[in-house]
Amino acid sequence: MSENNSLLSVRNLSVSFFAEEGVVRAAHKVSFSIKTSQTFGLVGESGCGKSSVALSIMRLIPANQGQIVGGEIAFDGQNLLELSEKQMRRIRGNKIAIVFQEPTASLNPVYTVGDQIAEAIMLHKNKDKTQAWKAAVEMLRKVGIKEPQQRISQYPHQMSGGMQQRAIIAIATSCEPALLIADEPTTALDMIVQTQILNLLDELQKQTGMSILLITHDLGIAAERADEVAVMYASRIVEKADPRLLFSKPLHPYTEGLLKALPRLGQSTKRLETIPGTVAEPMYLPSGCKFHPRCRTGCHDKHCQTFEPELKEVEPARWVACWHAPGYQ
Amino acid sequence: MGKQKEKKAIWGTTLGEFVQQQFVKRPINMVSLVCMALLALMAVIAPVLANNKPLMIRIEGKLHFPLFQNLSPADYCIFLAATVGFLLLLLIRRNHSNLEPSVRGAVLFRQLCLSCTIILIGSPLIFIFVPRRLEAADYKAMIAENKADYAVFAPIPYGYDRTDLMSRNLSPCRTHWLGTDDVGADVLCRLIHGSRTSLSVGLVAAGISTLIGIALGSIFGYFGGKVDFIGMRIVEMVMAIPTFFLIITFVAFFPRSLLSIIVIIGITTWTGTARLVRAEFLKLRKQDFIQAAVSLALPLRSTIFKHMLPNCIGPILVNAAFGFAGAIFAEAALSFLGFGVAPPTPSWGQMLSSGVTTTGRFLWWLTLFPGLAIFLTVMLCNLIGEGLRDAFDPRLKNAI
Repeated sequence: MSENNSLLSVRNLSVSFFAEEGVVRAAHKVSFSIKTSQTFGLVGESGCGKSSVALSIMRLIPANQGQIVGGEIAFDGQNLLELSEKQMRRIRGNKIAIVFQEPTASLNPVYTVGDQIAEAIMLHKNKDKTQAWKAAVEMLRKVGIKEPQQRISQYPHQMSGGMQQRAIIAIATSCEPALLIADEPTTALDMIVQTQILNLLDELQKQTGMSILLITHDLGIAAERADEVAVMYASRIVEKADPRLLFSKPLHPYTEGLLKALPRLGQSTKRLETIPGTVAEPMYLPSGCKFHPRCRTGCHDKHCQTFEPELKEVEPARWVACWHAPGYQ
Repeated sequence: MGKQKEKKAIWGTTLGEFVQQQFVKRPINMVSLVCMALLALMAVIAPVLANNKPLMIRIEGKLHFPLFQNLSPADYCIFLAATVGFLLLLLIRRNHSNLEPSVRGAVLFRQLCLSCTIILIGSPLIFIFVPRRLEAADYKAMIAENKADYAVFAPIPYGYDRTDLMSRNLSPCRTHWLGTDDVGADVLCRLIHGSRTSLSVGLVAAGISTLIGIALGSIFGYFGGKVDFIGMRIVEMVMAIPTFFLIITFVAFFPRSLLSIIVIIGITTWTGTARLVRAEFLKLRKQDFIQAAVSLALPLRSTIFKHMLPNCIGPILVNAAFGFAGAIFAEAALSFLGFGVAPPTPSWGQMLSSGVTTTGRFLWWLTLFPGLAIFLTVMLCNLIGEGLRDAFDPRLKNAI
């Protein structure tokens, strides 16, 4: 896989949070790259470090709580981790925008939706207020809100969750970013609205050619929407591949376990399989492969218990971090 | 009217309108608000209510208005400010029915700027063009000598600095409704003029302390970390000193003028507000919409003043209302102890202390009425503060 045409490439990113009890590694040597106009899915369960990766790309890890301890994030030819705060401000919102999980909490309750869209447009596109408001109406129409003229002067609490998320996407995309980070954009929404929002993102991507980093815990969404998927477990990427390959023939036992735990339409109602054990405590991670205590083969293997596998390309465009994966050595 | 309602339905309810609806619901809130407004009106027009100069007098066929001619430029400035403030309130009401919510902020800002400009330009003009006159003419003597055809006096025809050794320490009677004090000044007149002292102390001191509190609290809360740690330790150090003794210490170093007392009360009572604002900011900082504001690279100014501050306006306002009461109380206590404004400037606390004479006689009218005035004003402020608190957080009311 060439890195030349990639818009964003994250290499060996490590993020640590400093709690009173000790250091929590939120991301450990995470590497992936996103090509222009591509959707990259980052899948993993809660607390596995997906959001920390997103915040690191924006350089929004709160300084008094955590820190990016290593790696590099190359965006458009420059390493974001080396930029000054001032240069970074030019990137935020302008080139990279982020959509958060909770639509009700992501809009300021004391301003109208129009105010909030127009503020971003005024700031990044140097438009005056009337122009910005016109552009804001246009944005609302673009994200599929009916009667945008009236909706624009309404407060967030007058809208449904789906509409709020549309408005947030309007704010995020109003400055035509090259990369949109969608941090669980549909988790708080019901299934139908979820599909609508994801369709909207697809549509916007087709129109503007932006790349999307889609962070989700829903394997179905990732399978359906992403061009490439990475699975995270305990702050590490354990498998990375094209979704069709990943879901038809998973190489990592964790991915396999996740897929087996999914209910499928049209299959008999036999008991779903589970992954034994619980998610590793981020502060007290096991030695060796972080998944070995829950792994059927790994828990008896001395090698798995002592040595940590790194993410390696076992087949073209198939990356996995497991000692027992075919072709991994 | 129907169209108006339609518009409203689209506009939705702003936070201000919501709070207003909640506030109006309870009659006690409205009663205290109206009483407070009357008190403020009394303070503004005090020299017209109680003055030894006649409002109007005709001498040898010519009409004179001695009261207005003798008002000081400062009085006219107060009139101007009060009028502009009242008009601004009316304008805000009109904005709410005519303007879309999204443009209200900008319009209000323009109107505020305009009002401030009017006051700032008007006041020096008043000081230049209204001469400082001290008319020695004794109109009462003229009337007694039948020189004047007719005269209309203010409802209380005495000045607050009146000294009349013939009518010292009179108990309430027909000529002096609330009695007189030890130099013969009318108690009611001094009460009315004293409201100016009290309310201006309350307003300006609470304003100063709220502003300092907001500035420091928002810095501590927004930046957190070391700034917050050091800042909060300083706040705790200031809090450890009993406020009242701090004020007395300050007063000992500065002249006993109204202004210095206001400033001293203002700069010693900001700790509560600072802690409150900091706590609110710490809470807001973690909210997604603030994260989103930062991720959009909005300028710091906009993030703090536009997105964070309006979201904690409720606790700040409530705290300011209680601060208002506290400042009035502090001034009264200071004046009672003799550290307050110097006589003849009237102050309720100072009048209270003159209730016990050097001979040990207890003059009930000198303690009861100023005491009642202080009590009522402080209670009104607290009632309004509590009303606001309930209005901002309706859950609180049901919880108790």
